Amino acid sequence: MTVIAAYNIKGGVGKTSTAVNLAHLASQKGYKTLLWDLDPQGASSYYFRIKPKIKGGGKQLIAGERELDDLIKGTDFDNLDMLPADFSFRNLDLVLDARKKPTQRLQKLLKPLKKEYDYIFLDCPPNISLLSEAVFEAADVLLSPIIPTTLSLRTLQQLKRFIKDNKLQNLKLLPFFSMADRRKKMHRDIMADLTEEHPELLETVIPYASDIERMGLERKPLGGFVTRSRSIEAYRGLWTEIESALF
Amino acid sequence: MSETKLHFQLPENLNTEKLIAVLGEHLSLQAASRESSLKKFYDSFDWRLFCAGVLCEFVQSKSACELRLLNLQNGQILASENLHEVPLFADQFRDEAVRSKLASLLEMRALMPLASLKCQALHINVLDKEQKTTVRLLVKNYETLPAQVHIQAIRGYGKAAKRLSRLLEKELALKVVKKSLLECALEREGRQSNDYSSKLNIRLEPTTRADIACKYIYITMLRIIRANEAGTIGDVDSEFLHDLRVAIRRTRSGLSQLKNILPLQVTARYKAFFAWLGQITGAARDLDVYLLNFRDYKASLPVDMQNSLNPLYDFIQRKQIKAYQDLKAKLESSDYLSGLQAWQEYLNQSVAVNPPESEALQAIKQVADKRIFKVYHRVLKQAGAITESSPAEALHVVRKNCKKLRYLMEFFQSLYPEKEISGLIKALKHFQNILGNYQDYEVQEQTLKKFAVEMAEEQISVETFISMGVLVQNLQLKREQMRQNFAGSFAQFKQPANEAVFNALFASTG
Repeated sequence: MTVIAAYNIKGGVGKTSTAVNLAHLASQKGYKTLLWDLDPQGASSYYFRIKPKIKGGGKQLIAGERELDDLIKGTDFDNLDMLPADFSFRNLDLVLDARKKPTQRLQKLLKPLKKEYDYIFLDCPPNISLLSEAVFEAADVLLSPIIPTTLSLRTLQQLKRFIKDNKLQNLKLLPFFSMADRRKKMHRDIMADLTEEHPELLETVIPYASDIERMGLERKPLGGFVTRSRSIEAYRGLWTEIESALF
Repeated sequence: MSETKLHFQLPENLNTEKLIAVLGEHLSLQAASRESSLKKFYDSFDWRLFCAGVLCEFVQSKSACELRLLNLQNGQILASENLHEVPLFADQFRDEAVRSKLASLLEMRALMPLASLKCQALHINVLDKEQKTTVRLLVKNYETLPAQVHIQAIRGYGKAAKRLSRLLEKELALKVVKKSLLECALEREGRQSNDYSSKLNIRLEPTTRADIACKYIYITMLRIIRANEAGTIGDVDSEFLHDLRVAIRRTRSGLSQLKNILPLQVTARYKAFFAWLGQITGAARDLDVYLLNFRDYKASLPVDMQNSLNPLYDFIQRKQIKAYQDLKAKLESSDYLSGLQAWQEYLNQSVAVNPPESEALQAIKQVADKRIFKVYHRVLKQAGAITESSPAEALHVVRKNCKKLRYLMEFFQSLYPEKEISGLIKALKHFQNILGNYQDYEVQEQTLKKFAVEMAEEQISVETFISMGVLVQNLQLKREQMRQNFAGSFAQFKQPANEAVFNALFASTG
């Protein structure tokens, strides 16, 4: 089982569409896949038309009073299951804080699912909090979408420093450009500069595209309504890069 | 909480369209896909997969051609392979999981088609308010079978599956599917599962007249012969001829041992007929055995000599093909057909009210006790007289009598307590293995030498003859080993515990 977290300190950078589309691609390849929507906004759950609600809320979930297994919902796609969000997830930091070893909590909760799933994707809320620390402990890969803006440079540096300071040697950081508009000179320039400074950046660039926007209307991952497009090809390329970085 | 029922059958007055219309009044439905397929079920002739709880199906549709091995009880897929034609033998499959599963269950048996079903499948999604699929419905329309409706529950949406199940059962009054699809398909072909086994299962009543019981035993044997005729003639796999020959041997053994029960002239006529059958089927079976043993023959040689044995395989195979051609002609001859037909007619005739044969009217249990006990003592006496210097012929005689004893115990197994008689048969089997192997190794040594003489006339390399020489030596060593094991094996068979059971079961009238 490989745990892949779609994460960025900043919001609105394409984390959810990354998690949703990559989870769908992995499941299509025949991998048993689970997507956990940790964001109280429940955007991933929305894309799969699954009610963002779980029995007992975040408190019982973190306390381990409810097995994750009982909360999992099958999506409309083969091999792809989901743990939906819940509005109570906005307080997950408080709930975690009340526990012993809070940063190891997610890892412990995911352990029983190890045998069942090949990949678990975590769609994380933006910010650096106790929850994100727990995500860093649980994940094997931190997949970080970055919009080519000057602000993004800062967040990537912050993230790298955090990983270094917290000695998270086992966590593989895989940043990549997201929502990139090659028509904008600024995007092109920043991408060129950042790639030089940060060689760990993946080669694939996810474009700013209308069909990604359409996911919200269709309420499906891209693969559910388009077979060929620039954006779906980009996600396929991204998945191939991630797979080769893993093995 | 009751378990959700998932499989239903559509009654004749309800077709798919009507079903969907009624369900549509209660649920939001979405037609997902429609597909035609042809499903064929496979197993060995003696149902080895079925007996091991495995179902083998080959499904052909526009989207895929796939062979699947499934758990017979819960339908879980154990292994699958995409292919266009189903191979005959396990080692011809490419997929490792399919090949190893089939090889362990089928061994030398061929995979044969049992029945097929054409199917039109309609997949329907049941949606919630968010248009999310909460349960799937699969309607399968079969040719000449009632349509089936299957509920496919989705994880986390158990309530939706339960609601649909209730709707189908209560509102639409659908009946739960009781018979498996395999059973239905077989029924359509006039068959049922597990309708052949090479194991004898003759149920007799202790007080039945001996002549009636004997005829019943012979009828059982005749059915086995008939069942294996086509597979033998077609050389589908080696077990058809094997089972056919065992039934012939058992019949011969019965005719010579169960004396004074059937009229003397009948016994004499069919003893000769079945002796002839034994003789005409012998050559092909012997060659089958060499081919089946060939992998072991090779493995018994040093690695660098193994491949030089291959010309021997080709030589035996050529002979085996010829032997089967000869056998086919014999099994299609009027001598065979009319002989067996006459035997069948005789067995189906009613017995005489007062037959002159001295033991015809005796209770079969009495006859069985007497015969088994007598042959048992004969075996003890002959085997007890074997010494290190006894000729091979003496062991051969013991082997033949053990076989007679075994057949008698198997004919009459149902007349005795199951546990005790099974234990004795097992003990006897173990002793027979030593004697059988001893004899087989000797015959194989002789035959291989004979083959070498015949092969000398062909352009065959010296290495092959050297390998065959090593093989003969190996067989000789194995035979000597068997001879050394004889005394221990016999001591085990005649141990007081077994003797006590033999006495308790058979000594009453012996």
